[in-house]
Amino acid sequence: MLSFDLHKRKILTLFLFAVFIWSLFGVNWQAGVLHSGGLDAAAEIFAAMFSPDHSLGIIVLALESSWITLAYATAGMSLALIFALIIGILASGVLASGKQSHFAMKGMFRGVLGFMRAIHELVWAWLFVASFGLSPYAAIFALAIPYGGILGRIFADMLNDVPEEPIKALRAAGASKLQCLFYGYLPMVKGSMLSYTMYRYECAVRSSAIMSFVGLGGLGYHIQLSLQDIQYDEVWTFVYFLVLMVVLIDGWSNMIRKRMV
Amino acid sequence: MKQAKFSFMTVSFLVALLLILGSWYFVIAVEKASLADLFSRENVEYASKFIKGLLGIGVEEIAFLNPESWSDAFVLTIETLQMSILAIGFSTILMFLTVLPAARNVADGSLTLSRGWYRWFVFGFIRICYILSRSIPELVWAMIIIFIFKPGILPGAIALALHNFGILGKLCAEVIEDTDPRPMRNLASAGAGRAQILMYGVFPSVLPRFLTYILYRWEVIMRTTIVVGFVGAGGLGQEFKLRMSFFHYTEITLLLICYVILVILADYISERSRFFVK
Repeated sequence: MLSFDLHKRKILTLFLFAVFIWSLFGVNWQAGVLHSGGLDAAAEIFAAMFSPDHSLGIIVLALESSWITLAYATAGMSLALIFALIIGILASGVLASGKQSHFAMKGMFRGVLGFMRAIHELVWAWLFVASFGLSPYAAIFALAIPYGGILGRIFADMLNDVPEEPIKALRAAGASKLQCLFYGYLPMVKGSMLSYTMYRYECAVRSSAIMSFVGLGGLGYHIQLSLQDIQYDEVWTFVYFLVLMVVLIDGWSNMIRKRMV
Repeated sequence: MKQAKFSFMTVSFLVALLLILGSWYFVIAVEKASLADLFSRENVEYASKFIKGLLGIGVEEIAFLNPESWSDAFVLTIETLQMSILAIGFSTILMFLTVLPAARNVADGSLTLSRGWYRWFVFGFIRICYILSRSIPELVWAMIIIFIFKPGILPGAIALALHNFGILGKLCAEVIEDTDPRPMRNLASAGAGRAQILMYGVFPSVLPRFLTYILYRWEVIMRTTIVVGFVGAGGLGQEFKLRMSFFHYTEITLLLICYVILVILADYISERSRFFVK
């Protein structure tokens, strides 16, 4: 048994490696994997990377669509935060009074969160567009549901990991469940909640850029159009704008994190 | 110092508030999107038709009650699984090749106790690659990659790998930066060479954390496989798009069921194996 414990890691590594080899057989290598003009296209795309289109019209267009992307991401994220706070607190079970209701609440709301995040935001977007038509709300809700699920689950985990002692002290002083939440749990996890939310915000910007694939505006829409026109230089301009946005948000969240530690 | 801390956080908060208000203003006032329009009689009719279609009410051939469509969907599910494994495999290999020079404490020589002027160049170059690859979403990578490769699971896997390479690289480089340098110094002072320091010092201390991140990214990849399929990169996503354009809604339900099962399975496996190596 001891030797098994010692070699657990090696066994897992070997297993993962074997699975990877198995999945290599899933590719049809005989028929060739590249298009006939694939290498030329790759060379063109690579060359265009260093000479993005910087004409004024394209830059203005990119700025406009960047704002749309950012606006959808921000609106979706603010909704997701509200969902996550409500469902996350319920799913952590800190408000439940008895042991039985604690388990019931935890199981039920964790299930809800699991369902919300199991389906990718683009699939949600597609389902919304198919049922309600093209509307910015389709993008916002499609973002808010899976992001609310992910944030909520993480928030619930954070609340469950709070050390017991301060809460016990509060309870002993006669605080109610709700008072424990506001004066005990929330102040302790505020910092990590904020930094995780910032990280997710960065992801939301990326996701909101690809919402355009189902017909909702933004950077991804123009990337798609330019790709269909085979204007690789324009594609890279829009891509660089997206990269810039992500880097800026990343820098902002790093600064916030540094100041909180 | 205390004053500066306070003011930065206040400014951040105000900026965030402004952004939220601005974007809602933009959505509601400029784009003229109204929530009431969403539930107009027409839309509700379309939506109920769509949902009825998904549930197979009033449809002659219900795909999710048909064993043949189940077996077709099963083949696609296996394909999707293979795509996700290929993707995480490729990005792990790329990450291992680049992660060492991308760690700050390797670049300045404090971990491996060897210096070189070129190290900072390599460090900067790899970090820029990481940023570029992770800020481009998988779907955009897939749209570009599909110009080069034939449709199938390989372009999907490559697109997923390219995006996750940047994320894994960044996460794992941070793990190396956080390792305790004392065992490495000890090895170095005992006369170990650079390769020996890596094999016996760095890797044993970082590999468990790496594995956690790799499994975590695999979960995320599993969820995203369906999306790269939309642009023709194989698996469940491609079929999903096809069925959507043929209005075969019961097939959509079946594919979604398979997809959700895969995602839940991936969550479960990664959690179990994380527990296994603990």
